[in-house]
Amino acid sequence: MSDDAAIEVRDLVRVFESRKGFLFREVVRTEALKGVNLRVRAGSIFGLLGPNGAGKTTLVKILSTLLLPTSGTAQVLGHDVTRETDWLRPRIGLVLGGERGLYSRINARENLRYFADLYGIPVSERERRITEVLERVDLSSAADRRVEEYSRGMKQKLHIARGILHRPAILFLDEPTIGLDPKSARETRKLVRSLIQDGVTILLTTHYMFEAEELCPELAVLSRGRVVAHDTIPGLRSRVGGDRTIEAEAYGFEDREVDALRALPGVSKVASEEYGPRTRLTLRMRTGVTGVEHVKAALREHPELTIRERRTSVEDVYLDLVEEEAS
Amino acid sequence: MALAAGEVSRLRTTVASLRLAVLQFMADPQWLVPSMIAPVIFGLVSFELFRGAGPYFLTYAILGAGMMSMWGQTLYGSGWATGQDRVFGTLEPTIQSPSPYLYVVLGRILWNIVIGLVGGGIVYGVVVVAAGGPPALPNPALFVVLFLFVMVTLASVGVLFAAAYVYTRYAGFIQNIGEFAFYVGTGCMFPVILLPFWTNPIALLFPPTWALDALRYVSIPGYTGFGWGWQVDLVGAVVSTAVYAGIAGGIFHRVERHVLEVGNLSEY
Amino acid sequence: MALANPTTVPHPQFWRTMWANALLAPRTTLGFMRIDFVLGTVFVIPLTQMVFFAFVVTLGGGGASDVAYVALGNAVATVTYSSVFSVCQTTDSEKQQGTMEHLLVSPAGRFALYFGRGFIPILISLATVTVGLTYAALFFGVTIPVATLPELAVSVVLTAFAMVGFGLLLGGVALYLRTSIILGNIFLFIGLLLSGVNFPLSSLPPVLQWIGDGYPLTWGLAAIRASISGEAFGSLALLWAAVAFSGVVSLGLAMGCWEYFERRALSTGSIARF
Repeated sequence: MSDDAAIEVRDLVRVFESRKGFLFREVVRTEALKGVNLRVRAGSIFGLLGPNGAGKTTLVKILSTLLLPTSGTAQVLGHDVTRETDWLRPRIGLVLGGERGLYSRINARENLRYFADLYGIPVSERERRITEVLERVDLSSAADRRVEEYSRGMKQKLHIARGILHRPAILFLDEPTIGLDPKSARETRKLVRSLIQDGVTILLTTHYMFEAEELCPELAVLSRGRVVAHDTIPGLRSRVGGDRTIEAEAYGFEDREVDALRALPGVSKVASEEYGPRTRLTLRMRTGVTGVEHVKAALREHPELTIRERRTSVEDVYLDLVEEEAS
Repeated sequence: MALAAGEVSRLRTTVASLRLAVLQFMADPQWLVPSMIAPVIFGLVSFELFRGAGPYFLTYAILGAGMMSMWGQTLYGSGWATGQDRVFGTLEPTIQSPSPYLYVVLGRILWNIVIGLVGGGIVYGVVVVAAGGPPALPNPALFVVLFLFVMVTLASVGVLFAAAYVYTRYAGFIQNIGEFAFYVGTGCMFPVILLPFWTNPIALLFPPTWALDALRYVSIPGYTGFGWGWQVDLVGAVVSTAVYAGIAGGIFHRVERHVLEVGNLSEY
Repeated sequence: MALANPTTVPHPQFWRTMWANALLAPRTTLGFMRIDFVLGTVFVIPLTQMVFFAFVVTLGGGGASDVAYVALGNAVATVTYSSVFSVCQTTDSEKQQGTMEHLLVSPAGRFALYFGRGFIPILISLATVTVGLTYAALFFGVTIPVATLPELAVSVVLTAFAMVGFGLLLGGVALYLRTSIILGNIFLFIGLLLSGVNFPLSSLPPVLQWIGDGYPLTWGLAAIRASISGEAFGSLALLWAAVAFSGVVSLGLAMGCWEYFERRALSTGSIARF
């Protein structure tokens, strides 16, 4: 494992077996991870993107010692997740989130107190640490209310509080802002950023591209159990053919026009989509070679043409990669 | 902020788990109802059924109903709490914590022992009221010591039941199906010696069988049981409990490994 | 596609709702997801429960007739597992899976919905009692004359129906509680004491006898005992009427409970708590 890597995953495969049927039990095998390779630098926020069922949670569970891989190796902080769980568990924070995973009949403070004991936080520090994390996630005023009275956002905050209570060196956040209102989601992102200043390495899975763009300098896209891309955001942009995108819309285009666009210098990809009577062409391109004026010129036969240029977003990158993988 | 891995203490984990069990019980006190009603019913049923069991029928009734009641709390309760961890979704974070789950289970068992003893006390009260007086106990001090020891033996089996609940979400069904078989097998209400001979070695695999036989020896004059006296029973109970305690750690380790392999911790 | 069209609002059909619930419940909320559990409930529980009480009664000085008495009582009492325990536990299951709110917000008729859930438990209850009675006849000295089989069959069917009705009633009450296991357990135990399972009700104080009379198992068991002993049709018919009446009353109360506790749970917000 390289010196600055907090996570290193090699050829990781995970197969799930389930049984169905009432009289005759049939075994169904699902390959959730199909040879994943990944490396996460220490002290960074690493984003793991992917559609539902891509294998993100499976990977997080393996890295956080909650699931064993079928084959391959995974090291966290230089230690094997299958063999060195005793060493790793006190150093790992895991936030799976959701409505479950908390003792709902007791209050937040008691939930944290219980896990503080399970993590061996020194008794002399326990209450101070609990107060500190409750303040950090803005739950101090609700700390003595039963968790079952909490909103989804408050539960999510409590999940995070529990995840950071023992001051882990590495934190796994599985879709931390899912289901949160915009204000709570923003607060959560702020909290995540602040953790980095404390030196925590964070692996974050998310569906929200803007969130990944805002938080994660480095990303991996997981699709159907494979890492289809692993790079910095600029790197990913160039990977899908450029950091700029031009969208042109009109009532249908001729094939020759599309071919002409493809032939323009710097244009790496032209995708076509139908929107009712209109067609949208999306061009990925590198900066500074071809501009909007060149595209307009190529499509001059369309007086109804609307055209706009923007920066290629992580969402564009993500959709291109997932589409590519699917095809 | 990072890091500082705290020192995990088994005792502290056990105490934390016991505390959580108390808090959850207090948050949902309706559990008091079955915890109290079941012993009353068991007491009355056994009082009726044992009427013709001779001069010491009261002791039989108290022991039998007390065991039924304590079985429910100590064994069933301990496993059920783990099942609840599955339902609440707290099994995953608990297993993921550095504390061995075995000690979380131990904390719950301690609480269930307390509730079980309360149930035993209720049974005693009910039977005494129904009979109009307490039974004659030849050696009350030894009775109390052995009674507490029976709880320990039940707890040792309870640990393994809890392991089954970690292993599979279906443990509750399996336990329901096997409940009366266990009552029969451990001689909870009647001496195992009454059963066909071939069943006796199986029954002796369970620590409560030994402990209950010892308890009957010291509380029912003329009781023959297995015929080897309460001292041998006590040794058997201690040894089998020690074996259970010894293998509990290994079993939990294996079960934990198994659930991490199959990935069924979040199923309920 | 128009999403809202008031002229074509679908109306849930009674039979369809009932059938959908009958088919779905065993796999979703009743816990009978596997054939081995069903077989265990039907074949193992009756035998072990009967063996247990047969030994207890033997130690208590009982003779062959006492053994036959408790064996028959427990053969029938095992119906409680599938009818009362499983059925009332469906409420817990719905809460735990987060489906309770969706169920309550649906326009489906509540009677069809809940009675549908009882369909498979009725079948399993019938099988359990039948197997239990077979054990009683084969191993515990209970004599079941062939001529009494038709009457016995009627008694068993009515008992299973009434007990499922009672299970639905507890399920209704459990809507308001955090868990139904408490109720299920109480009636599981009460059945052993107050229904004439292990000893005649007449040996209990009058107050306990009255409580026992309110429990369908008491009447069902009395009808089954009367059927086997070849009692006159007139008195048997009265017992059948009592069993059927207790079942219908249970169902009626169940519906009332569902409506009342549904409102109550909605007003207190306890609907999703478990």
